Amino acid sequence: MSALLDIVGVSRRFGGLTAVDNVSTTVARGELVGLIGPNGAGKTTLFNLISGFTPPSAGRIAFKGERIDGMKPFDVARRGMGRTFQNLRIFPNMSVFDNVSVGAVGSLGAGLGATLLGGRARAAAVSERTFAALEAVGLTADAEQLAANISYGKRKYLEIARALAMKPDLLILDEPAAGLNDSETKGLAHFIRGLHAQGVTIILVEHDMSLVMAICQRVVVLASGRKIADAPPAAVKADPAVLEAYLGVEE
Amino acid sequence: MSGSEAGRARSWLWTLALLAGVLVVMPFVLSLIGRSYLYQVANIMMIFALLAASMHLVTGVAGLLQLGHAAFYGVGAYTAALLAANLGLPFLVTLPLAGLAGALVAFLVALPTMRLVSIYFAVATLGIGQMLYLLMLNWVSVTRGPNGILLFGGLTIFGHDFSRPAAAYFVVAVVVIGSIWVIHRLSHSYYGNALRALREDDQCADAMGIDTVRLKIESFTLSGFFAGLAGALWAHTAGYISPPDFNFNVSILILAMVVLGGLGSLPGAIVGAVILIGLPELLRELKAGDFRNVIIGIVLFSAILFLPKGLIGETSALDLMRRQFAGAWRGGKAGGMGWR
Repeated sequence: MSALLDIVGVSRRFGGLTAVDNVSTTVARGELVGLIGPNGAGKTTLFNLISGFTPPSAGRIAFKGERIDGMKPFDVARRGMGRTFQNLRIFPNMSVFDNVSVGAVGSLGAGLGATLLGGRARAAAVSERTFAALEAVGLTADAEQLAANISYGKRKYLEIARALAMKPDLLILDEPAAGLNDSETKGLAHFIRGLHAQGVTIILVEHDMSLVMAICQRVVVLASGRKIADAPPAAVKADPAVLEAYLGVEE
Repeated sequence: MSGSEAGRARSWLWTLALLAGVLVVMPFVLSLIGRSYLYQVANIMMIFALLAASMHLVTGVAGLLQLGHAAFYGVGAYTAALLAANLGLPFLVTLPLAGLAGALVAFLVALPTMRLVSIYFAVATLGIGQMLYLLMLNWVSVTRGPNGILLFGGLTIFGHDFSRPAAAYFVVAVVVIGSIWVIHRLSHSYYGNALRALREDDQCADAMGIDTVRLKIESFTLSGFFAGLAGALWAHTAGYISPPDFNFNVSILILAMVVLGGLGSLPGAIVGAVILIGLPELLRELKAGDFRNVIIGIVLFSAILFLPKGLIGETSALDLMRRQFAGAWRGGKAGGMGWR
C-alpha cells in the first residue's frame, strides 16, 4: 500500500503554546484511521494543518506524494481531500441539493466560462455527483428542502454528502458523533464502515473513544500536542500512556 | 437546477409573459397614455433594474456588501458619453466599451480589496466609490467637472434615430433584458451556487475546493460590466450626464432595491427597482410633495422590519450585516486589519 498522506515532524506553535509538537504519521490508501485525544490535545489543530487552514511552523505534509503544507485550503481540497466540520457548517439558506452541489462544483472547478457558454456537459457532471452523494447518505428525498429546515442528524449527513460530492481520496470527519445520541451514533458507525468498505480512505477525529475503538483499524492518540500512541485499537486501549492521558496518573 | 419538466415549462411561461409585458403591453399602454415623460420613467426604471440585477450578483448572491456600485455605473456612463461626444462613436460601439470599462475598473478595485474581510470590504468600496465620484467632479479637463457632458448624437443605431423616449424604450428594453438573462443564467447555475456558498460561509466553501478570492473577483468584475452597460444606456437616453448622477446616494438607492426585493433573488432586485423608481413618480403624480420622501423612507423601514428577507429573498439582510460585523471582529482577533 502506498502512503496517501504522509506527515513528517509537523509542529504548530501559537505564540508560546505548542499546539502540535513534532507529530509524524502516515495514512495508507484504503485505511480507516482514528485520531483521538483529550480536550486540547491538538486534534483540531492537526486537522487544520492537514487541510491547509493553518500552515505548520515546522515539518512537512505530503498528500498523494505532493507537498501540501503551506497550500491554501481550496488547493488541498481540489487535490482530493474532503472534510466536515466539528460544529456543523452547512449553508443554511440553500437547499440540500444546492449545498451538496457546492462540493461537486468545488472539485470540478467553478467554471465561469462554461456557465456563460451553456456548459451542459459540466452541469450534468455536477448533478450526477450531487445525486450520487445524496443517494449515498440517504438524503435524496430531502433534496429540495432548505438546509436550515432539516433535522440535526440529517445535517450531519448533509455535511458528509457535501464532502463526498468532491469524490475525495481522503475524507476527514471532525467529531461526526458530537451531539448524536447512542442509536444515532450506532447508525453513523455503520454508515462510516460502509463508506470504508467502498474504498474511501477515512480519518476520523473524535473526542470520544468508543466510536473510534469500534470501527477504526488504527488509532493515533494525541496528548498535549504530542503523539503518544499509534496502534490498532486493542493495543491503544491497553497502552499505559493513553490511560494516563485520559484518566490521569495514579498517586 | 434540479428543476423538473413542469418547473422548466413554468419558467418558460414566465419568461414569455415577461417579454410580452415589457416589449408589447407596456409600450402599448404607454402609447395610449401618450406622454413621453412616462417613457422616460420606464427607461430609468429598466436602467435601474439592470443596476439592481448587477448588484444582486455581488451583494445578493455572493454576499459582498457593495457600497460604491454607482461609481461603476458612472465609469460606464462617462466612457460612453466621452467616446460619443469626443470621437462621435455610435451607440453600438460605446455600449460594449462602457461595459468593458466598468469591468476593468471593477477588476482593478477587486484585486486588492477582495482579501479584505467583510465589513472592511464594504468600507473600501464606499471609499473607492467616493474617489471615483470626486474624480468625475474634479478632473475637469476630461470630464468637464460639474458642468457634465452633453451628448448631441443621442441614440442612433445604423443611422436610425432612436432618441425619442418611445424609441429609446425598445433599445433600453432589449439591452436590459439581454443582460438580465445572462445574470439569470449565472445566478441560477452551479456557478451561482458556488457564489452563494461564499455568502453563506466562505471558509467552508474554501474547504470544498472553491477558490473564494478568485470567485469574488470574477463576480465583482461581471457586476462592474453590467453596471457599465447601464451607464451607457443612461448617457445615451438622458443625453446629458453629470457627477451627481453617480454619487453615494445612488449606490445606496441601488442597495435599497436589492434589499427591498430580497437578497439572492433576481426577480426581487428587479421588483425593488420598479418600486423604488416607480413609487416616487407615482407620489409625484398624486401631488404628495415633499411628503413622498417620507413615504419612501417608511416603505424601506417597514421592509427591513417586517420583511427581513425582503419581498422574495433567500437570506435576511440584517443577518448578512450582523455576520459582516462578526466577521470583522473575528478578523480583528486573528490580528491585523481584517486581512485574510
